[in-house]
Amino acid sequence: MKKQNSIFSLVLIGIFVLYMIIPIIATYMFSIATKWDVSILPEGYTLDWYQTAFDHPYFSITLTNSFIVSFSAVLAGLFFIVPTTYWVHTRVPSAKPLLDLLMILPFGIPAVVLALALIRVYNFQPVARSPFLLISGCVIFSMPFMYRPVSNSLMAIDVHTLTESALNLGANTFQILVRVIAPNIMPGILSGALLVFATVFAEFTLANLITGASFKTFPLLLVEFTKRDGRVAAALSVISFTVAWIASLAILWVSGRGHKPTEEVVAAH
Amino acid sequence: MAYLDLKNVSKLFGTVAAVKDFNLAVEKGEFVSLLGPSGCGKTTTLRMIAGFEMPDAGTITLAGDDITIVPPNKRGTGMVFQAYALFPNMTVRDNVAFGLEVTGHPKAEIDERVREMLAIVRLPDAGKRYPHQLSGGQQQRVALARALAIRPRVLLLDEPLSALDAVVRVALRGEIRKIQLDLGITTVYVTHDQEEALSISDHVVVMNQGLIEQLGTPEEIYRQPKTRFVAAFIGTANQLHGVVVDRAQVQFGTMMLRAPVPSNLSASHQVVVLVRPESVTIHSAAPSSNQQNVLEGTIQTITFLGPITRIAVDVSGTRVVADVTAANRAALSHNQPVWLAFDPEACQVMASQ
Ligand SMILES: Nc1ncnc2c1ncn2[C@@H]1O[C@H](COP(=O)(O)OP(=O)(O)OP(=O)(O)O)[C@@H](O)[C@H]1O
Ligand SMILES: [Mg+2]
Repeated sequence: MKKQNSIFSLVLIGIFVLYMIIPIIATYMFSIATKWDVSILPEGYTLDWYQTAFDHPYFSITLTNSFIVSFSAVLAGLFFIVPTTYWVHTRVPSAKPLLDLLMILPFGIPAVVLALALIRVYNFQPVARSPFLLISGCVIFSMPFMYRPVSNSLMAIDVHTLTESALNLGANTFQILVRVIAPNIMPGILSGALLVFATVFAEFTLANLITGASFKTFPLLLVEFTKRDGRVAAALSVISFTVAWIASLAILWVSGRGHKPTEEVVAAH
Repeated sequence: MAYLDLKNVSKLFGTVAAVKDFNLAVEKGEFVSLLGPSGCGKTTTLRMIAGFEMPDAGTITLAGDDITIVPPNKRGTGMVFQAYALFPNMTVRDNVAFGLEVTGHPKAEIDERVREMLAIVRLPDAGKRYPHQLSGGQQQRVALARALAIRPRVLLLDEPLSALDAVVRVALRGEIRKIQLDLGITTVYVTHDQEEALSISDHVVVMNQGLIEQLGTPEEIYRQPKTRFVAAFIGTANQLHGVVVDRAQVQFGTMMLRAPVPSNLSASHQVVVLVRPESVTIHSAAPSSNQQNVLEGTIQTITFLGPITRIAVDVSGTRVVADVTAANRAALSHNQPVWLAFDPEACQVMASQ
């Protein structure tokens, strides 16, 4: 009985992994294939598609734009969402259910609706259709990804007593947040930052509708190429994965370096 | 005006009065304990001194400054919490240094102070360790060092030992008292453990439902409890219900007890006569002395408590306990008829209700 169960779950996991991984492998193969129409495996391999992608004048522009938007969304999350979450946890705990609800809303609003609403409401200069409006939209839409892990981390530590000890020793709110609270919820902040970065980097609808051609992001370029040349599009997708991977590894590396004891303590709690 | 002065301080939580019209004067260098049952308002009082709660009425002054509405990070109070509130992300050294760093002291001074504080709490080599690498008792020592490092004007401790096991608790409370005396630091200590309060305090404030029941030295609190609550809460006291006959006598059942009756209690007043178990001696034959009060009864239970044995005796329906040493215990057994004797001076008479 036990044994059958575990075989069953292994098979299930196997199917799931294949389902997730096959498209990635296929995309990767396609991006380095010379010709892959009639054979099971590609007829030859080349890096030409990458060359084409790199040489495209919009490649570095869109990549830079996407980095700007993603980093701005992460920074906005760090500077607005983290302090707000801390504030609500310590000073107005009664407002926490409200905030929880608010942080589900972005999931309920389709990106198209959000984009059109923002375009209509902020239809005045200089914000109308500006990168700033795009970033603001991305902040709203990625808010829950920062809020959830940070809120969970705050619940795992004794925020009240830590805050009061620091206050008692003469620290101000800024010092408490930066020196006491943030290091103790670092795993939550990092996973929040990672999720925000990854979702915003891959965001298409808002970018397409709000800024469009005036401030092209990487996913826009990718979609353009899917219409023109699938193999270059595949190369761009692989680059996009790689960026996400590097970002994750960088964040894991940073968290593994400075915060060993914190993680252990958070785990112990 | 006293060094730390609470005047008519009250605190409400919704409709619950946590602290009512509280007056307390603590002199510089004094060690005062707030003692009382759970929910009596000890923590709330301490938190008002630290600035974490704002009183609804009254004023708090510290070293001549009115601190009633001063924010907690500007008060210069050092607090030790019940839960080890050390910063888990910092080493012991950084924990102790924190208060000095956030207020911008020079590094050399901080290093020197940290060394001094860790020496005081006898953890000179723990600087590089993290809180989770320390025992509970060690963590509380670090918490004490951290609170003392800022040279607070008053040290506040909220049941700092209640999460520790009995042996560590007793050892550490003695150390806290010694450090307090060495540094001459004014201290307010919250506990619900009467033995702890009596053993280390200059003065004890016994609280009940947000009010002060009695304020006095440990001896006064123990020997002359002012209210029945204090008598019942501190140690163990026999309570013999009776009626005042005259200035020196109380009718207890069919017996007459000699006891000093305070002048505010007139004849036929309902009273309680309090006698501590250690003041009662136990005899297997009727004692001849006619100076002492003598009660006759039978032994109900014999409880071994280590250095003493507590004998509960049924005296015509009232349970009276007496503490005896091992030598006196040997001759006693269950259901044995015995005589209890105690001096009139060992009795304290107070109004019942
Ligand atoms: N933040 C709060 N909100 C509402 N009521 C509170 C709050 N803090 C304390 N109280 C109430 O005030 C009263 C006094 O509480 P306090 O914590 O001062 O008691 P205590 O003497 O320290 O008790 P314990 O020995 O259990 O720690 C209690 O009835 C408690 O329920
Ligand atoms: Mg308490």
